[in-house]
Amino acid sequence: MSTIVITLNGERKNVPAGASVADLLNTVGAESQNVAVVVNENIVRPDARASVLLQENDQVEILVFAGGG
Amino acid sequence: MDSLRLGSYTFSSRLILGTGKFSSASAMIEAVRASGTQLVTVALRRFNREQLEDDLFGPLSEIEGLTLMPNTSGAATAREAVKAARISRELSGSPFIKVEIHPNPHHLMPDPIETYEACKILAAEGFIVMPYIPADPVLAKRLEEVGCSSVMPLGSAIGSGQGLSTAEMVKLIIRESNIPVIVDAGLRSPSEACAAMEMGCEAVLVNSAVAVARNPAAMASAFAKAVEAGFEARNAGLMPRSGAAVATSPLTSFLGAAS
Repeated sequence: MSTIVITLNGERKNVPAGASVADLLNTVGAESQNVAVVVNENIVRPDARASVLLQENDQVEILVFAGGG
Repeated sequence: MDSLRLGSYTFSSRLILGTGKFSSASAMIEAVRASGTQLVTVALRRFNREQLEDDLFGPLSEIEGLTLMPNTSGAATAREAVKAARISRELSGSPFIKVEIHPNPHHLMPDPIETYEACKILAAEGFIVMPYIPADPVLAKRLEEVGCSSVMPLGSAIGSGQGLSTAEMVKLIIRESNIPVIVDAGLRSPSEACAAMEMGCEAVLVNSAVAVARNPAAMASAFAKAVEAGFEARNAGLMPRSGAAVATSPLTSFLGAAS
């Protein structure tokens, strides 16, 4: 199976070619969390996560709300 | 009972609570409940599966009547703040955004120029914009003009516990503002929160003072009472100061009078 390299939260990560944003969330254990996903500066809404496929060199951020003042 | 109006929202509580620096999520939740607050700040962080307890969205959304106000902490420029705000709105579903842009981690003083630029953009995008600002009446007025829903001048440096060191400037801001003025940052004790309300603030935002207290829930409750007392006192009308004593008891000298 061929893989591509993306950057996830600042770190390089190999993912299967053809993987979607939803697949990535599953892989990292974030599928049931309330997260925001940003791919190359674009917000990927929950209803689009299954259909947006990751591409080589994508910059992906998975974000949550933590404590802050 | 007068309520606090921010954008199209109204709140009966005038205490806004920050959720940072608590020893645990449960201590934070307990303090939020004890404070009676209806508006809490949160911050965006990268997801980490080893630290799922850092995700506060779930626990906070279980508290009824609570609105989230994400902040843009971490942003050093207007561009970064706008990006954080858009992501936060997506995640929170809340139109509130606390614009917080501080380029220097040593003093954490807000950058007035980047803050102004970010607020202009975010207000135009329909956010309820709540900027954390230096206690500067000119900047406060400019932010009001671009559509901010409040201004939040600092009492003193973030997390410093130095209290209302900007009191005289905050009074000038209040005097000139047509939007709520909220003291944010630096408060250490409930008496300072009470003083801020007495001088005319519409709310106060507290985080460290509650989070690092030995008993955060009790401190949250104390702040809530102080904020309410200060607001009530202001509406009741404080007596004027006098340079000399003004007797409260009759001074008729019947005791020394010859009978």
